[in-house]
This record gives sequence, C-alpha cells and structure tokens, in this order.
Amino acid sequence: MQILSAGTKYDSCNQSAVCHAFGPDGRCIQLYKTLLSNSCAGECAYCPNRCERETKRASLEPAEIAKITWSFYRRNAIEGLFLSSGIMGDAEYTSQKQLEVVELLRGQGFKGYINIRVMPGTPKYLLEQIADHADKFGVNAETTNSINYSEICPNFDYKNDVLQRLKWTRDLIEKKRSEYCGMGKMVGANDTQFVVGAVPESDKEVVKTVHKFMDKYALRRPYFMSFDPVPDTPLENGSPSPKWREQRLYQMSFLLKDYGLRSSDLDEIYDEYGYLSNADPKEVLARSQPDRFPVDINSAEISDLLLVPGIGPISANRIVRGRPIVSEQELSRVGVVVSRARPYISINGSRQTNLSSFMGACS
Amino acid sequence: MLIIIAFRSSVEGVLLACLAFREDPGSELIFASDVGELKGKLDLSGIEGEINMVGFDPSYRSESLSKEIFGKSKPRMARFDPDPLRYVDLLLRHKGCDPAGLVRLLVSCNGDTDGLYSGKSKIAKRYYNYMREVGKAYERLCMFARPELKGGILSVVIDTPHDIADMFCRWLVRKNPDVPVAVIKNGSAWVGNGDLIGLDRFAKITSSFVESLRSTSKSDDVDELWDLYYNSQMIDSRRNHGLAKKMQPKSSASMSKMSKRDRYKVERGIAGCTLDSFA
Repeated sequence: MQILSAGTKYDSCNQSAVCHAFGPDGRCIQLYKTLLSNSCAGECAYCPNRCERETKRASLEPAEIAKITWSFYRRNAIEGLFLSSGIMGDAEYTSQKQLEVVELLRGQGFKGYINIRVMPGTPKYLLEQIADHADKFGVNAETTNSINYSEICPNFDYKNDVLQRLKWTRDLIEKKRSEYCGMGKMVGANDTQFVVGAVPESDKEVVKTVHKFMDKYALRRPYFMSFDPVPDTPLENGSPSPKWREQRLYQMSFLLKDYGLRSSDLDEIYDEYGYLSNADPKEVLARSQPDRFPVDINSAEISDLLLVPGIGPISANRIVRGRPIVSEQELSRVGVVVSRARPYISINGSRQTNLSSFMGACS
Repeated sequence: MLIIIAFRSSVEGVLLACLAFREDPGSELIFASDVGELKGKLDLSGIEGEINMVGFDPSYRSESLSKEIFGKSKPRMARFDPDPLRYVDLLLRHKGCDPAGLVRLLVSCNGDTDGLYSGKSKIAKRYYNYMREVGKAYERLCMFARPELKGGILSVVIDTPHDIADMFCRWLVRKNPDVPVAVIKNGSAWVGNGDLIGLDRFAKITSSFVESLRSTSKSDDVDELWDLYYNSQMIDSRRNHGLAKKMQPKSSASMSKMSKRDRYKVERGIAGCTLDSFA
C-alpha cells in the first residue's frame, strides 16, 4: 500500500472540498491516492516505475483498494479516491481494472469523490463506462507536442493516444452535464498534467498549449509536476526543475482560466528564450504596461481592474457592485490586497503613490 | 403597559421578535429555548406586562421573514460570508450569543445588512466575529474530527463550546447515508440515520443509550493504515515547516488522535528510519 501510494505523491488532484489533513510540506491530503499497480509496460524516460528499472513492484486488488477507501472515508480522513496505475500489459486491461474498482465502490454505495487517471490509448467504450461512475477522469498530456512526447513516452502516440482521449473526455463531460442538468449533480471538468522540465520546452510553449487545450478540449485547469531526475532512468542526469517554475506556471494558468486573458496577452512576461522569471507574472505584466495605469477604481471596466496586482475576479466583482468606493479601507474589506494594488490604482482621481516611484523603490 | 416580547431562541423566533420589536421598540425582550424555560424566566424576573410570545410554534417561514426584515437584495460587503439567515443561525450557536442583543442589532440595521458584515459598530463587529468563530469551529470539525465505526454505528466525541453538534451530525449523515451516525457531546448524542436502528431519522438521545445500541464494542483499526498512507505522501524536498504548521494548526491535534499524530509529523517531520529497521 505504501509503495503504491508513494507512486502518486507527485500527482495533484485537489478538488474544491474539505481538506482533512496536511502533509509536512503543507500540501492538502484530501483523497486516497494510489496506483493500482506500479508494474508498468511503459518506458517513460522520467518515471521510477518504467519497465526496465529495478524497483520493488506491488499491486492491489480492486477489492483491497475499495476496502481501504471505505476505511479512510468512514474515518472522515478523505473525501474520495484518486486512482492511477502503471500500464499492466496494455491500456485496455489497466482501464478495465480501474473500472472494476469504481464499479465496486459505487455498487457498495460509496458517495465520495472518485478521480481516475486513465491510460493513454484507453478505448472509448471504457472511457464511457468510467464516465458513468467517476466524478472526474482524464489522461495526462505530459508535454506540449508529439516530438517531445515521443522522447519521454516512446510507447504512445501523442495525437492518437493522448489528444484523442482529451477530445473524448471533453465530449463525455458535455454529454454528462446535459444529462445531469438540473439534478444537482456535479461533473468534473477536463484536466491534464504536464511534466515541467523533463524536456527543453519553454514556459511560453507550455502556456500556449494550455490555452489551446482550454479552447479545443474545454480544459478547465492544468496540473504541473516538476521534473526530478530519478536514478536508473534515461533522464537521471537531467537537472531538477526548480519548484518555483511550477508555481509560476500555475499562476499563468489562473490568468488564462480566471482572468480571461489569452496566451498572446502574456507574451511580454517571458524572457528572450520564452521562460518565466521567479516573480509574480501578473506583477511583471503590469510593470511592462505602465501606460495602462493608474486604473480608477470607480470607473474602470472589470477587465482593467483584473490587470491590477492585488485585485482578483472576486474582488473586482465586489468593487463594481459596491461602487462608489471611497477609501482604501473599503477596498481592503472587499478583498483587495491594497499594498500590491496601490501603485496601480486611483480612487476618484487621487493616488497614494505612483508607479514610477514604486518601481524606483523596488529596483 | 410594558410589552414583553418572549421569543424562542431559534432563527424563526429571532426574526419574529425582530418584527415585533420593530412595532414596539420600547418592549422588553426575553428569550428561551422552550415554553417551560420561558415560564421559569418570567417567574424569576418578576417583570409584569403584556406578553407577546413568538416563535414557539414553528411555522417554517424563515425565508419569507428574512426577506421582510432584510429585503431581497444581496448585501454588498459579504466577503465569503453566509447570507443573513445563515448568519443568524450561526450566531445563535455561539456560546456567548445574547439573542436579545441580536434582535436589537438586526432591528437597528433597518434592512441594510451591510451593518452585519462591515463591523462598523462595536456590537456588530462582536457578533460578526462570533459568527465567524462558529463557522470556523464547524469547519474544523469537518476537517479534523475522526469518527469511528464501532458496532455498526459511526460515532465521534466532540468538544466544542458552540452548539454545532447537530450541524456536524447532518454533515456526517450526508457523507454516510447508509450507516447510523452519532455525534456525542457532554453526555448527549445527536443521532443521524436513526431510522436504521429503530429511532427517528434525526434524534437526540443520551450517549449511554448510543452505547447500548451498538452490536459490538470492537472498533475499526484504521489508524496504522492511515499513518502508512500519510507518510507515503511526503515529498522530502518540499518540506515547508511554516506553511504546514499554518495549514494543520495546533488546534487540530485536540480533535482526534489521528490529527494529533499528523500534527506531530508536521512539527517534527517523518522519521526516515524506525526501530523496525534495527530488527
């Protein structure tokens, strides 16, 4: 159990529900995350479970996974199950076993959350059956294009085994949502994971791909996993990806998802090689466009308010609903981080400071 | 003649008292949880006057009463805050809440609910903080309380100063609609899914009665398994002492043995080797 759970510790899967515990790294533990098996027929270059690597192999039977899930769930230690796996023979067999777990749990009356990471190449009929029982399911894209993908996941084809599955997932989710419309049942959105730093692809390429997936496959949000070289793998001599890169990519994805920006709006944030710096992207974007500021709190459009550091979608809406805003104290009460927003805003024409003096103080 | 508004200390009672107090702002406010308690209070107080009893016969009109008192529009300053009805419900559960003071506060708002959330007056601020305290106490229970499945009943003992045991019981019932659930506090037990064991669906009984309903006294044995799982999720290179302590606060350790052990690991990390390594 420990081996298989450790195999998922890098997977992020947080849903917006109760968190029952936090690890020593501050991450929320709200699901029982496990692999069905870490025996894998795949040869992914970054993975500790790749078939050619000497490592302790373990598997759990569907009934065992169901039992552990129930035990933790009854204890109020988790909200549900996150199930991934190594490729046991082929994608079809692996997905069948995953489906067995889900059907067993639902058949026993399990009401908790279930997230299934399906294998690249999973047949459509199995995806449809998984969609009937799981709250969320999806395939990991890992990289931005087929050339990079073939380098790190040589057993699969990016277009047929990954992108096609993203498309099917999108279609199934749309179908489920229309079936459940008005019934109060939630259907999880399409998501995927990228490995950051395993191949030399720039942050600009990653963000552009995320945007493309959002448009084409209704991707709600991406997850990023920082590459850490694993001994006895083809990428063992690679450099570990800095953790801040993962954090900054998340911030970029929120700008696309929650702020309505397009990837082309963010071109000024990158360096000449297309990489982000270790700074808040929104702050970098704001400083690169000084002509846009200051923004008047009481007259600006929401889209302009959203460009101000310290103002997010919720506080921007509250500002518009609460106008006129007469003081910084009111701004603070509606959720604005005033210390960050101050250089970029004016309240009825008056400013506490200006952008150039702020930038001068910070340089 | 003095008018005494005697109201039940429930959401509906408070709202009805608001309407009555609006009509007679000079009246005396007395609250009680039931008619028996009210009679005792009236006898003890010695106050004489015309008694206007409200809220003791539930009419389930809280929504319409709320619209009448607070109006239909959403309050503009509600930052992650509940609506006024829920606000009143949470407030009444606080150990320090004075329902009569609450009625006066609600009436003084004059339909403008900004006053409830903006904390402009001292009393409004105090009640707002009370409301948040109850909400947070409930959240902490949902996060860190660990019920045990013993003898067919999923039960947990809680220790909170606020009156939220029934709320937590309902939450556990939603998660576990197929087993009886008991939330025990100070010798009383709030039971959910009680129809599975011959009680009403939701019932309040004594904790000793819950024990008698169990089929065995054997508990589930999940703690060790959880420790294994918790330890497996640690990524050494991402140890973040400050963040972890903030997210899993010290108070979580008192909520259950499981959370206590998790908190210990947050403080001290997870040992790389154990005595078993030397066996």
